[in-house]
Amino acid sequence: MAVARWGELRRHAADPWLLITFAGAAAALAIFVLYPAFRVLVYPAWQDYLAIPRSLRWLQAARNSLVMMVISTVTATFVGLAFAFATTRADMPGRRFFRSVAMLPLFAPPFMVAFAYILMFGRQGLVTKSLFGLSANIFGWHGLWLVQTIAFFPLAMLIIAGVLDAVNPSLEHAARNLGADEWTVVRTISLALARPGITGAMLVVAISVLADFGNAVIIAGGFPLLATEAWFRMEGMGDLKGAALVVAMLLVPTAGLFLLERFWVSRRVYTAVTGRGSRIERPATPGFLKWTVLAVCALASLLVFLVYFGVIAGAFTTVWGRDWSLTLDHWHLAADRIASLWVSVKIGALAGLITGAVSVLVAFLTTRPFQLRHALDFLAVLPGALPGVFVGVGYVLAFNTTIIGGTMWTLAAALAFWHLPMGYQAAAARFKQIERSIEEAAVNLGATGLRVLRDVYLPLLVRALVEAFAVSFIRAVTNVSIVIFLIAPGQVVATFVILNMIQNNIWGAAAALTTMLLLLTFVAIGLTWLSVGRIVRSPGVG
Amino acid sequence: MEPHVRVDRITKRFGRTVAVDGVSLDVDEGSFTTLLGPSGCGKTTLLRTVAGFYRPDAGDVFIRGVRITDVPAHRRNTAMVFQEYALFPHMTVAENVGYGLRLRRVPAAEAAQRSRQVLELVGLVGQEQKFPHQLSGGQQQRVALARALVVEPEVLLLDEPLSNLDAKLRIRVRSEIRGLQQQLGKTTVYVTHDQEEALAISDRIAVMDRGRIQQLGTPLAIYHHPANRFVADFVGLANFLEGEVSGPGQVRAGPVMLAVPDGARAAGPVTIVLRPEAIRLHAQAPAGAPNVLRGRITAMSFLGTLARYWVDAAGRQWTVDVPSPGEAVMRGEVFLEIPRERIHLLAAD
Repeated sequence: MAVARWGELRRHAADPWLLITFAGAAAALAIFVLYPAFRVLVYPAWQDYLAIPRSLRWLQAARNSLVMMVISTVTATFVGLAFAFATTRADMPGRRFFRSVAMLPLFAPPFMVAFAYILMFGRQGLVTKSLFGLSANIFGWHGLWLVQTIAFFPLAMLIIAGVLDAVNPSLEHAARNLGADEWTVVRTISLALARPGITGAMLVVAISVLADFGNAVIIAGGFPLLATEAWFRMEGMGDLKGAALVVAMLLVPTAGLFLLERFWVSRRVYTAVTGRGSRIERPATPGFLKWTVLAVCALASLLVFLVYFGVIAGAFTTVWGRDWSLTLDHWHLAADRIASLWVSVKIGALAGLITGAVSVLVAFLTTRPFQLRHALDFLAVLPGALPGVFVGVGYVLAFNTTIIGGTMWTLAAALAFWHLPMGYQAAAARFKQIERSIEEAAVNLGATGLRVLRDVYLPLLVRALVEAFAVSFIRAVTNVSIVIFLIAPGQVVATFVILNMIQNNIWGAAAALTTMLLLLTFVAIGLTWLSVGRIVRSPGVG
Repeated sequence: MEPHVRVDRITKRFGRTVAVDGVSLDVDEGSFTTLLGPSGCGKTTLLRTVAGFYRPDAGDVFIRGVRITDVPAHRRNTAMVFQEYALFPHMTVAENVGYGLRLRRVPAAEAAQRSRQVLELVGLVGQEQKFPHQLSGGQQQRVALARALVVEPEVLLLDEPLSNLDAKLRIRVRSEIRGLQQQLGKTTVYVTHDQEEALAISDRIAVMDRGRIQQLGTPLAIYHHPANRFVADFVGLANFLEGEVSGPGQVRAGPVMLAVPDGARAAGPVTIVLRPEAIRLHAQAPAGAPNVLRGRITAMSFLGTLARYWVDAAGRQWTVDVPSPGEAVMRGEVFLEIPRERIHLLAAD
């Protein structure tokens, strides 16, 4: 009944301005989300698609991507599960500490883990060469495996912790009361109830691993992968058709996993229903499990620290691996390229503004009476299924010859719309929390459709708006997978400069510039926190 | 006199369910009319149709004879108090109350004065700068009422406004609402599922069930002369006996022969409605009274202002309320006396 009554209200509140706004938003999504994807898929001729099985290199890349997806997803989810466990049970020591540590990789630029591990574990590695005198080669699949595990376990942790936390302690006590020992409780109640969350986490991590460009391009070496292959095609051979073909291949598994997560797993969560009303202590964690989890978390935390330590140390070390004396020389070199940081900020701010505005507007419009609102909703979450390289190639094909081609607007639009799902979903969730009668009260007192948006929803959504801006901004300034395709002449951004430096072995300056980027990120987080009183989480992908 | 609000043969469907089924209702100016019924009876739907949140599938709504069926919700002057109050959480009390005036472009000075008057009426002066979450439930309720009253609506609509308050406060606030309504002479339509509330504050009650008005009348009429078994059962407690008119002023119900009010019903099957407090309990057989049954007390429940007994008599169970019982408790054998003027007869369903 509530649904029907809402539908009626919407019809009454509908007015021409609302209709125009809806049409505008739908057109924007069609142009900036749908059209580039469409361009990628139709750019190669159908014969090119048929020729895929005959290209050994591509089959190899596809196979490698799938293998990485499986092994990195398993390990990242395992570590994420350990962290989720360690942070949601009151009797685990150091839970706050582990929670903070797990946030750190989320704010790192998506190539930073790989870069830091080259510094720590590579041929000139601090740990491998200087500490243990080993001659290690981190380049290749095993290096990437380690990097992706550390880079993506926080995603798994966030999802699983959310589910574990929602498991009602009374259920665990009930199981104890019925005769289950501690270990049986964990196995048959806590973990069993969290199973849909674990599956969901695996799917999200798998998408991120498949789409991971930043780490792969740095550390995979000669190991061909779909995500990097597109870039090599275009950069090395100017083969736009090949690039389109590869990213289209990459879209199949990512879109498949995305749909699976959205329409299957997310409907199977048993725990989300209960609120957080009762905060009774959970039964004790079995000792064996406790120490295993702590050991896993401690090791992973150490590896997370090395990510930050490696990059920051690299920025102050004269010649990494040979001359460990401290220097500020790299900062001078980095300062020469500081202009690129401002370009990043400019584009990031632009992307953030677009993401924030479009998120809130689309979230509002999808609650209105329009028949097409489900299509609008779909378009707003669709970018979540698209790997960054896919979007990059798509925007090249869609807009390079248009008026915004080769300007910073293409890049800003690509980043803004790629990050739309996070902002949109947060805003839509917020809309759901707002009692419908509040809008009805406004209408009852005389407010029209857009007036309701202005007077009631916007003030209540300021927080969602700021957060959408912040997440989009942070991810835009640290992005590489899209940037690398759409870099505009005279508008070179910091991540692009850093990537070039790393590939040319100018590690010190790369580390210095990365450190500046980190500072920028944490300033953005701090400012957001000051303005909305909450830490933003920016899942770092691709 | 023309009714202030007229609901004319309104039908409202949601999918296949008919929420309101051809309901007509006239509300007089300055009157307090309550829509009473169980959940799903259509009372809220009817109220929201008057507010314009629903467009009826058939029928019309008139205010002062003007058809407003097609007027959108935001242009009707039918201010509503919502069940969950629906206060704007980002606005202060003053801003909440002033919102409707702002939309009506009332000049600031006048708006401030009107807001102040209304806040005085509901006793919230001094709370203007607080936000809704800083107020108690009762205070939030008053803000919602003030916000609706300040726009001087044609009709004030209240949708279960007391359901989020605790029992004591509910009784206090309901008499405040009634007092205000009478003081302002505001035409009011009130929705509730609480029969006691409805009896306590209404000029007239429309008892609804399954999308239809089952009975429209004063609280006294509804309680003492229910039109059918549903109304008798929903409003208050009742003993029901199936019987047959056996002669003038005589009804036979199984083994029991009852003298009923003269001219009650000529012939045929009837349902006898007996309120528990209408029956008197005696330890000894009362001399000379008609309609006396011998029975046995099977259970008793002490409710403070009354004692409720369950008595087996004439092969069935009776519920009997003894008002103001003090510390007296009756046990075992008793006699039920049924005053004939308290017997209400319905045509059997």
